[in-house]
Amino acid sequence: MIILESHSVIINDVLTDRFEKPSRADIQFVDYDNVRFHLSTPSSKTQLLLSMGIQCWPDLVKYGAREHLQDEYQDYLLPQDQTEQEYDVSLIIDLEKLPESGEDRLALISRISHLKSTAMSSPFLSAFSEQSTLQANYKEPAGAQQADIVQPENKGELKIVRYREEEAIYIQATNDRVTVIFSTVFKEETDKVFGRVFLQEFVDARKLNALQNAPQVRYSNREPPLEIRHLPGLKNGEDWGYVTFVLSPRHFSNPTQAQANINRIQLFRDYLHYHIKCSKAYMHSRMRHRVAEFLKILNRAKPEVAATEKKTATGRTFRTR
Amino acid sequence: MSNTLRPYLNAVRATLTAALTLENFSSQVVERHNKPEVEVQTSPEALLHPLIVSRNESERVLIEPSVNSIRLSIAIKQADEIEKILCHKFTRFMMMRAEGFVILRRKPLPGYDISFLITNFHSESMLKHKLVDFIIQFMEDVDKEISEMKLSLNARARIVAESYLSTVSLT
Repeated sequence: MIILESHSVIINDVLTDRFEKPSRADIQFVDYDNVRFHLSTPSSKTQLLLSMGIQCWPDLVKYGAREHLQDEYQDYLLPQDQTEQEYDVSLIIDLEKLPESGEDRLALISRISHLKSTAMSSPFLSAFSEQSTLQANYKEPAGAQQADIVQPENKGELKIVRYREEEAIYIQATNDRVTVIFSTVFKEETDKVFGRVFLQEFVDARKLNALQNAPQVRYSNREPPLEIRHLPGLKNGEDWGYVTFVLSPRHFSNPTQAQANINRIQLFRDYLHYHIKCSKAYMHSRMRHRVAEFLKILNRAKPEVAATEKKTATGRTFRTR
Repeated sequence: MSNTLRPYLNAVRATLTAALTLENFSSQVVERHNKPEVEVQTSPEALLHPLIVSRNESERVLIEPSVNSIRLSIAIKQADEIEKILCHKFTRFMMMRAEGFVILRRKPLPGYDISFLITNFHSESMLKHKLVDFIIQFMEDVDKEISEMKLSLNARARIVAESYLSTVSLT
């Protein structure tokens, strides 16, 4: 499994099961980036309540997450004041009013299991729409000599999503692109070194012909990139890494593709760290194997003791105690 | 095998074979104690001259003989940050399993990556030439292992980056 899935497998499995046969449930589970889920049947077996608690909810609300969820889930979404306590979003699914056809049901399950990525995609979507308005209003500077004159502001608002305690996503739209910056922290020395190797490969991979269409990737450690350098409270130290994705309009011109790309990019940090952990695990199993080999070589140095059966003169077996 | 590695290993092998002439020797300081003299360093007359076999700046072997024990410390080649980490992880992994490797020291000497301590009891219970073979084999394999681990890390990083970017690009 190289690519991480963007939907929640637990929601998917439980809903598939419950749609067939309603029964009681009270499940709490988690997803990446400190997202908590609670799936329960508070009143009756047929009323499924799914609540999600997400750390960056205040940030997401600012960028229109509530409206976006409303569009996506319509009647399933509970109003803000009926949301389950300690959670940020609640969906209610009435198992008696499900769509009839199997295909529609599958589509509904898939939509609900993407709850987290849908909520997280609202700042991206608003940046994309901002970019298209900026592009429409943008006029080419009349001539090179005028380039020195201060140009009208052609940058969108810098959106900050603090999706973990220390790490954040910064999204900014300009007239010809959308820049997405991840800040990530490497807690361990090994992670730091491995992370640098991985990030360097992300930068280099784009040189391949097959990947010319991929968004441009840049990374810097220690120093935050220029776009966000003015922000207060940015950490710069050995264990900080900043990864920049430059999305051009063709990456999000088509809505389904835009959504697919958003789902991918949201999970970038998890993907990176997941693979760092995987390679550490691989190193570990390799070392285990190698150490076993060394032990074998060392044990060859011990002379073998011939285990012959000793017998007394009368023919009885002699046993040393 | 590169042309400088062979003479280096040969020199280590010859020195180690010569140094591995150990005999039982009780402590002269504490009655009824029998300790590796090279570790306790209490009686200078029981120690012999230490010797460094060096291939280049970063790769060298320190051999400290004494009357009843010999200490051998190896500095492993570390060209960059990744190799340094991998080498550190690997030696630490081995040293945590030192009870399996009876001759392995739990801590390396300062300035070296891994140390072995062979006492007269080891050389009596094990075949001497096979012990030397083990040390030489270890020195050969550890370099190979570290460079292979580094290659596999790079290969993995490349595959990971390519498969991620190919899903984000235009489809």
